[in-house]
Amino acid sequence: MAPLTPYTYIQCPCSDPSNLSYSRASDSGSPIDGNPGFDDEEHTFDPRAPRSNYSLYPLEYLLYCEDCHQIRCPRCIAEEIATFYCPSCLFEVPSSNLKSEGNRCTRSCFQCPICIGPLSVTSFETQPDPNLLAAPDHAAAPHSGPYALNCSYCHWSSAEIGIKFDKSNGIHGQLAKLRNGGTTRLTAKERKERRKDILQSGGGGGGTAPGASGDTGNDQQAIDMETQFTNLKSFYQGQLSESTSGGNGLSSLGDLGFASPTSLSRIMSIYTGGSLHDKKSKSRVGSMREALDPNEGLIVADLDESAAIEKLHSEGIDGTVDTEQLLNQPPYLGEPHLHGRSRFGSELRPIPYLLRTKRSKRCPVCRHIISKPEAKIQTTRFRIRLIAGNYVPSITIRPLNLNDNNGAAGTPLPPTAPLPDTLQPLKPAHFLLIFKNPIFEGVKISLATPAKTPGRFASKVTVLCPQFEIDANTDVWDEALKDDGARRRGAGGGRKGDERPGSTQGQQRAEAGKIWERGRNWVSIVVEVVPASLRLDTLPTEGPEGEKVDMSPLKEDEDVLEIPIFVRVEWEVDAVGDDLGSSLASSRDKEAKEKRELAYWCVLGLGRVSQA
Amino acid sequence: MSRRPPRGEYIETDTGNKVARKATLVGTQNIMLGGKTVIQPEVMIRGDLVRSVPSSSSSASAPGSNTAVAIGRYCFLSRGCCLRPPGRLYKGAFTYMPLRMGDHVFVGSQSVVQAASVGSHVHIGAKVVVGEFAIIKDYVRILDGSIVPPNMVIPSFSVVAGQPARVIGEVPEGGHEAFELRDLYKTVGNNPQPAAPS
Amino acid sequence: MATSFSSKRHSILPPISQAGPKPPIQFSSSITIADSALLTGSHTITIRTESVVHPRARLDSSGGRITIGRRCIIHERSLIGAAPGGGLPTTPSRTSSLLAPPREGVEEETAAGPAGVTLGDYVTVEVAASIEAGDTVVGEGTVLGVGARIGTGAVIGKHCTLTPHTIVAAGDVIPDFTVIYSNGTRRTDRRGVADLRNKGQARQIEVLRRMIPSNPAKFQ
Repeated sequence: MAPLTPYTYIQCPCSDPSNLSYSRASDSGSPIDGNPGFDDEEHTFDPRAPRSNYSLYPLEYLLYCEDCHQIRCPRCIAEEIATFYCPSCLFEVPSSNLKSEGNRCTRSCFQCPICIGPLSVTSFETQPDPNLLAAPDHAAAPHSGPYALNCSYCHWSSAEIGIKFDKSNGIHGQLAKLRNGGTTRLTAKERKERRKDILQSGGGGGGTAPGASGDTGNDQQAIDMETQFTNLKSFYQGQLSESTSGGNGLSSLGDLGFASPTSLSRIMSIYTGGSLHDKKSKSRVGSMREALDPNEGLIVADLDESAAIEKLHSEGIDGTVDTEQLLNQPPYLGEPHLHGRSRFGSELRPIPYLLRTKRSKRCPVCRHIISKPEAKIQTTRFRIRLIAGNYVPSITIRPLNLNDNNGAAGTPLPPTAPLPDTLQPLKPAHFLLIFKNPIFEGVKISLATPAKTPGRFASKVTVLCPQFEIDANTDVWDEALKDDGARRRGAGGGRKGDERPGSTQGQQRAEAGKIWERGRNWVSIVVEVVPASLRLDTLPTEGPEGEKVDMSPLKEDEDVLEIPIFVRVEWEVDAVGDDLGSSLASSRDKEAKEKRELAYWCVLGLGRVSQA
Repeated sequence: MSRRPPRGEYIETDTGNKVARKATLVGTQNIMLGGKTVIQPEVMIRGDLVRSVPSSSSSASAPGSNTAVAIGRYCFLSRGCCLRPPGRLYKGAFTYMPLRMGDHVFVGSQSVVQAASVGSHVHIGAKVVVGEFAIIKDYVRILDGSIVPPNMVIPSFSVVAGQPARVIGEVPEGGHEAFELRDLYKTVGNNPQPAAPS
Repeated sequence: MATSFSSKRHSILPPISQAGPKPPIQFSSSITIADSALLTGSHTITIRTESVVHPRARLDSSGGRITIGRRCIIHERSLIGAAPGGGLPTTPSRTSSLLAPPREGVEEETAAGPAGVTLGDYVTVEVAASIEAGDTVVGEGTVLGVGARIGTGAVIGKHCTLTPHTIVAAGDVIPDFTVIYSNGTRRTDRRGVADLRNKGQARQIEVLRRMIPSNPAKFQ
């Protein structure tokens, strides 16, 4: 089992049901300091509860709204797309193009349908090594067509599906016209002309007998989905106009069947954008016939699977596509058959790159923007970036070696040291929690943990120093200018100065109510855990209320020791001059200092408990 | 360069580069280091594979144009990784092209990088292969064991993994600071500093 | 700001102790072999016309003769002739024959010792790829990607491509024109560019010959 790196996840308050009322109330009134919704002391957060899914985030993923003074997570923020761009050519796509061209790159950026690697355009004849010839400026080389798309990873080539290009640019447009095998697909204009020809030769809309299906074999090859759709559309249009002209004004009682003109025009207005719907059709009755031949849009299902079976015989399972490949395939209207999608790898088409976006993010409550990137694709700067890491103390976990009797006792393991693989059950283990204060005011931190972790296997948890203060995140140089031996406020009986256990040869002992170590803007405290035994026979047979205990075998990740911990951060800000708090200050009594409070649950993942 | 510091594991240059004595640098005259870059033991850089076809824009006689590998500031090349310029056929002739790397680029151990360009604030994990002429933009994280195929372009703020590599996620807004390598720079060298407590 | 450092020296190549004996060699006069390539072992190492061996490539003939065909490129840090059993899986089909006495019809076996690794013409062995010894054969025009590992006794066909970090089990037989990608998936290369690729290889060798100072005399 993979060793587990200790982690800290923070629960966004948006997932706390007690918060919902709060956020609604604050819509109307002014934002309130802290979070009164969190006074629910009875309730312990269970990181393993199904409702906790997707509510826990590492600190980096969280944003912070300066107006609401609250953490915001990817689940609760509202996103707005600033820019669309292709992840391969890094060109911006205007949002107007998006409506007409879709959400894929319409230049020459494609992904391999086999392995998802990037495809590059390479010339056929003169190009000696597609593996080495890179795409960017090969157009300058005196190559002449034909060109193909080549994957430089799995060596797939669009020539395998019979697709070659005349020009090396505008591949997207060329590919749209090409069907697998290299035959060109009819353009809208050609389709129109063909229809006209057929109508003229056949005489009359849909007069051809169904017996003509004998020669549909060839016709069906030529009819792709788009042609069929236009055929169907014009056929039904014709039907509608016929029925309107022949309308006899009877009651609309029989107007309910599938074949009735009203339902037909309703369906057609769904698929063709409502342009066909006309008010006159309301009174129409009677039924209409269905399409009878390919020119009217009829395609007889090809139930002959022998070719596919034969191919499966010759190519085996390796020749077939997997789900991922199928899902990556872009919709293509140029293919003739719509009964089932590609089943063989040899039918897959190049995938134009899906566009990517730059997005700005808004607070869901006050609608202020809390993250806004520069719109230009090449820049990585942000205009606004209110990340939680600048407001919320970070918590780092480090295993602590207290039980060792040699000289190294009491020194935290260096971060590079290999972590102990597992925690021994029923044996106390110690961890250092290092709280680092990112804000420019000193903060007071109160921690609360349940004495036993929630879940089937309850481990004992003791935070040795649940209340302490951290100094402000002053400038590093201020600190250096001050006397090195400057005394610090001892919080909660904390030790003084920058004493490190390393310098005092580590005869430090973890004492209740005392912090372990203190630095410029950080404090470390000790937490002691006694991991539970993971053996099922140690579980009580009955719960406290006589309910049945889950005796099922160990579930996935149930051996990970996770501690829910409630963190309350309190600090004071200057009310005057602080534009964020000014509205509050004016509404309340004018004090020079204003109290702020932030409280949230977080989960510390310490490690896996040994199952031996 | 004339005065040698006392013999430690690293050669520390005037501009703050820390180059392990056990690193293999071939063609050092074509390797440019921006300063404060760490090159750990057993790293290999192929500076000898220079461009053999002069580029049309700049004259070949200019002194800087012969660079094969250019590395920015605060880069960290972990033990056993290998940087080599990408090569390809260009107008019928084979040539190597320079490999350019921005600032704060971390290259994990045993990784092989043959990209055309690597941006700034890029983290390349261990045992990664970056194929020839790949373009990696800024703030990209490539997870351990990924194979970045040749010619791939990885846009900024991407998390990339797999064989072949594909974009599997985005770097969150709060994750930008994790790419800083200033602190890591201090932890190696002939008199390393302990890591900061956090 | 940027400074080219240590402009006096052209390379920093920390010495590597030559472990093991100097092998007998049979070099074509047109090969390019870097000074810092590492050749060890007791059996003959043959390198044919115009092949290139990069700095810090390792050829170890302790496990049998090493034969490198024409116009091959052996990149840095590759290891040809690794000791078998490097934790690679085995394919039972051929391992049985490996354990059995050597194959029939190999007359020079007794004279020149067992075959270790045989590379055909136009083979590229990329950075940090390793090939185990024990009658391992790589066919013409095949590319072994970065960090690929070939087990002992494997036979790789012509014009195959092994993408980076591919592992070929000991005794495995790979047909011609196979591409192994994405952690062991196989497909057939249908591009039909083998000849063009060989030409490109020749171009690359032309350039490398000018760049890598060759010192075959060192290995005599």
